[in-house]
Amino acid sequence: MKDRTTLVLLGVALGLAGLAWWGGGPELALAGLAQGGRTLLSVIPLLIAAFLIAGLTQTLVTQEVVSRWLGVESGWRGIALACLAGALMPGGPYVYYPIAAALLAAGASLGALVAFVTAKNLWTVTRLPMEFALLGPQLTVTRFLVTLILPPLLGFLAEALFGRRVERIREAVNS
Amino acid sequence: MTVATATLGILALGLLAYAWQRGDGSHWRAARQGWGTMKRTMPLLMVAFVIVGYVNVLSPQDLVQAWIGPESGWRGLVLAEGVGMVLPGGPYVVFPLIAVLYGAGAGLGPAVTMITSWATLALVSVTFELSFMGWRFSAVRWGLALAFPLLAGVIAQLVFSA
Repeated sequence: MKDRTTLVLLGVALGLAGLAWWGGGPELALAGLAQGGRTLLSVIPLLIAAFLIAGLTQTLVTQEVVSRWLGVESGWRGIALACLAGALMPGGPYVYYPIAAALLAAGASLGALVAFVTAKNLWTVTRLPMEFALLGPQLTVTRFLVTLILPPLLGFLAEALFGRRVERIREAVNS
Repeated sequence: MTVATATLGILALGLLAYAWQRGDGSHWRAARQGWGTMKRTMPLLMVAFVIVGYVNVLSPQDLVQAWIGPESGWRGLVLAEGVGMVLPGGPYVVFPLIAVLYGAGAGLGPAVTMITSWATLALVSVTFELSFMGWRFSAVRWGLALAFPLLAGVIAQLVFSA
């Protein structure tokens, strides 16, 4: 499962490298590689903290706790809690997806996980000051208001439509 | 980035201290667990960051500015959603770019659509999602979210742009 994903991503990376070479010669192909390497190096402290938190989440938070608070039985409370957690979570996708995967492994429902990721994407408290500063109050406030409902809404939709398939998603990630 | 690192660092240390004071060795188990996950996903992460690097270097910024003009309507919203998906990198890269477009006369609707599309559908994020959550989760979340950037843009245009 993970090997196949790696191969697909490797194909995309090679395709982009080819595109860069074709458009800008070997210099641009190298520049892309160097840029990726620099970005990776700059987020290594974040990555270490994120993987440590993921490990601690798995160890400290027992399956019973996750099932009770975020599991299928948790209903709208679980989705609300997941939204709150997503809003407060700092960092990029390499931070919140390992944590989401840990919650999935521990028994969180599909609705709670979709709500967590969507709240991280749209409510995230740590990004709002920057959005406000760079895009101005009108655009930021409008954007925030019209997407305010989406994290719980998508959580409910995912749970209602696909909630019963969560075991297959869990198996694929655990294997 | 430094604020995020500090926040996560403090969170990790706090949890670690809590695990340690339980006195049952759970801080070691947690560290080993985290290290195991990191080792397993490192090849994937390295490839994902190579992709991030190339998207940055090839940055389609010129094209973006040519496509989304002020008088775009539905076509502009659909384009804005597509552009949002392929916008590279984090908020430091994306917000300045959208600010340029907005300042150059892009409508409120397309701007909201683009931010929402980038935040929820960005393909660069999906590469990480695929690695950690598997394709079924990505398909459900991405598929459900697909219509909403357009809807957000329409509402923004109708209600807020006066």
